Amino acid sequence: MSLHPTVITLPVAIPLLLGAVGMFLQFMQFPRRLQIQQTLVGVGVLVNLAVTVFLLVFVLNGEPVAYQMGLWTPPFGITVYLDALSAIMLVMVALLSVLIFPFALATIDSERAQLGFFPMMLFLLMGANGAFLTGDLFNLYVFYEVMLMASFVLLTVGGTPSQLNGGIRYVVLNLVGSMMLLLAAGVTYGTLGTLNMAHIAVRMNDAPYLVQAMIAGLLLIAFGAKAAVFPVFFWLPSSYHTPHPAVTALFSGVLTKVGMYSMYRVFPLFFPWLLNQWQPLLMTIAGLTMVVGVLGAFAQPTIRRLLSFHIISQIGYMVMGLAVAMTPNPYGIGFGLALAILFLVHNQIVKTALLLGGGAVELEMGTGKLNELGGLVRLKPLQATVFFIAAFSLAGFPPTSGFIGKLGLLEVTFSAGQWAIAGVSVFVSLLTTMSMIRLWQYIFWGKPHRQPLTQRRQTAPNYAWMTVAPVIALVALSLTLGLVAQPALDMVQTAANQAIDRAAYVKAVGPTLTEQDLRIAPPEWGLTAASQATELAGR
Amino acid sequence: MIEIYLRLVDKILTPVIFLIAIFLFLRGHDMPGGGFIAGLVAASAIELTILARGAQATRDRYGPWAVPLAGAGLTIAVGAALLGMYNGGFFRSIWLEFSMAGEKLKFGTPQLFDLGVMFVVVGMAITYLLRLGEAAEAAVTEQTRLERQREDRHR
Repeated sequence: MSLHPTVITLPVAIPLLLGAVGMFLQFMQFPRRLQIQQTLVGVGVLVNLAVTVFLLVFVLNGEPVAYQMGLWTPPFGITVYLDALSAIMLVMVALLSVLIFPFALATIDSERAQLGFFPMMLFLLMGANGAFLTGDLFNLYVFYEVMLMASFVLLTVGGTPSQLNGGIRYVVLNLVGSMMLLLAAGVTYGTLGTLNMAHIAVRMNDAPYLVQAMIAGLLLIAFGAKAAVFPVFFWLPSSYHTPHPAVTALFSGVLTKVGMYSMYRVFPLFFPWLLNQWQPLLMTIAGLTMVVGVLGAFAQPTIRRLLSFHIISQIGYMVMGLAVAMTPNPYGIGFGLALAILFLVHNQIVKTALLLGGGAVELEMGTGKLNELGGLVRLKPLQATVFFIAAFSLAGFPPTSGFIGKLGLLEVTFSAGQWAIAGVSVFVSLLTTMSMIRLWQYIFWGKPHRQPLTQRRQTAPNYAWMTVAPVIALVALSLTLGLVAQPALDMVQTAANQAIDRAAYVKAVGPTLTEQDLRIAPPEWGLTAASQATELAGR
Repeated sequence: MIEIYLRLVDKILTPVIFLIAIFLFLRGHDMPGGGFIAGLVAASAIELTILARGAQATRDRYGPWAVPLAGAGLTIAVGAALLGMYNGGFFRSIWLEFSMAGEKLKFGTPQLFDLGVMFVVVGMAITYLLRLGEAAEAAVTEQTRLERQREDRHR
């Protein structure tokens, strides 16, 4: 089966086009405008899911696809690159947006809907899709900015004082991360003379260590700030609890995960050897992120504040997976990265389930304060059950996806000889379990302190199933991943193999190489992942 | 805030600035210029109107169009990029040649894209310039009120 490569731009083009039409309708005074906008967004997320699933199936059965915007020759035009790693991320984000959309539809207040909440969802989706697809460092920065702007609007739409407060912190601290990314792009262009990722990968081979270290450090800070790792996570807990719960769920599934994806994409492609050299640094960051996140969660008084600290804690595991990505181990190079991707997917599913479940509770009870809630298990047995499963999946209990993800990561870390970090991660899992039990107890156990808003106001919840069904779907997905892990493992293994196969990336994009590049990388790009690994082990 | 001289300047200059914007837009294909800068120049004409006639009058004239204009611009730009799929891929250009009065004229999807960019820039710029203008006017009105109060007290 062959495919015209331009198809891989569709995940960017579709949300952008429909979002633009939605924005065009904004402020137009005619009846049913809101319904038309909502229909547009619904169609947008569904079509996006269909296209991304198709692309994932295509890429898993074949080779990575690259497309040049406007058919310009590679190092000059903007490259779009799709492999299994980016396709998995595209599908996950598309799936989350499809599931969050009904939740938002049922719960968003009419004021926020009037202000253009729904088209902004599409713009956020477009920014994330672009960041997954791009093969150009500067373009990556641009898509990060698109995401930043869309998420700022989503954060502050409605304009309550706490939202503005959180929004300003969010934007200021995120702009610092964006500046770092821009700086990294500038340094790359100044030293290597190119911004095309495949071309950078070729030229990085022969770059002096100082240049490599500088670019790697700047990228680590930039993506770290976006993913909320240890020293640069402050923006997340100070802003995530302020907007509408649907927005928080969307952010937790998309924003930080794009930062992690960029690390998985860029480090194995540009400087895989640095992942081994800098392993102690990455391990330290991972350990501190886990510990600080989970300890912070214990001190939090509301549902969403608590869960947003857990987002940080879980990011630590993903960084741990990155740190062992290129380490030789009995399962083969890249197994660490595969498990990191699996963990990322699991986390997107479970975290969104928890935030949607917790958000539904918050909306129904009118408060997210833990000490004012309680006893909901009698009122909402179904919600209590799915929340319980999701919480234990986050903690890593079998038979959920969390168990598979954590077990695999532990195994790779042990075989890499990193006992300390493995011990820390187990300890943090224990703390996560405690924190999750505490959360569940506060919300669902004990005696009810207050009546749900719906009962007090005597209005029937018309759309109750629209807030519960997405959570049930996500929890079912998590259980499926845990029970039938082999297909998922095969999928992420393919993704990891494609992600660490620099030769395939360069060949797929095929930048017009200069004399200098050819001298640096003689035409044995035919290097397979395995031979590349032996070369790396020698370094 | 309505100044008689500025109103005169506005009357004379605004059409000229719009013409410059159109010139820059058309020039942009292979020389410095283009949709973005043309949009900014057009927005500067609107800022002049705000200074000369006040934000309220300007909002009455341009306000309702700002956001739909940006949305339409975005739609046009993406549409132009999508049209390229007919010719081999996303963002691939399509050119049409005309001859008019002995001159060869080329029109293509890059110009359409640029037009979209211009609309987005103009729409967004009007939105925030109007907001800034209103805020500044409110501040000035407040200040004048305070000054008058003080003068009254001196008398």
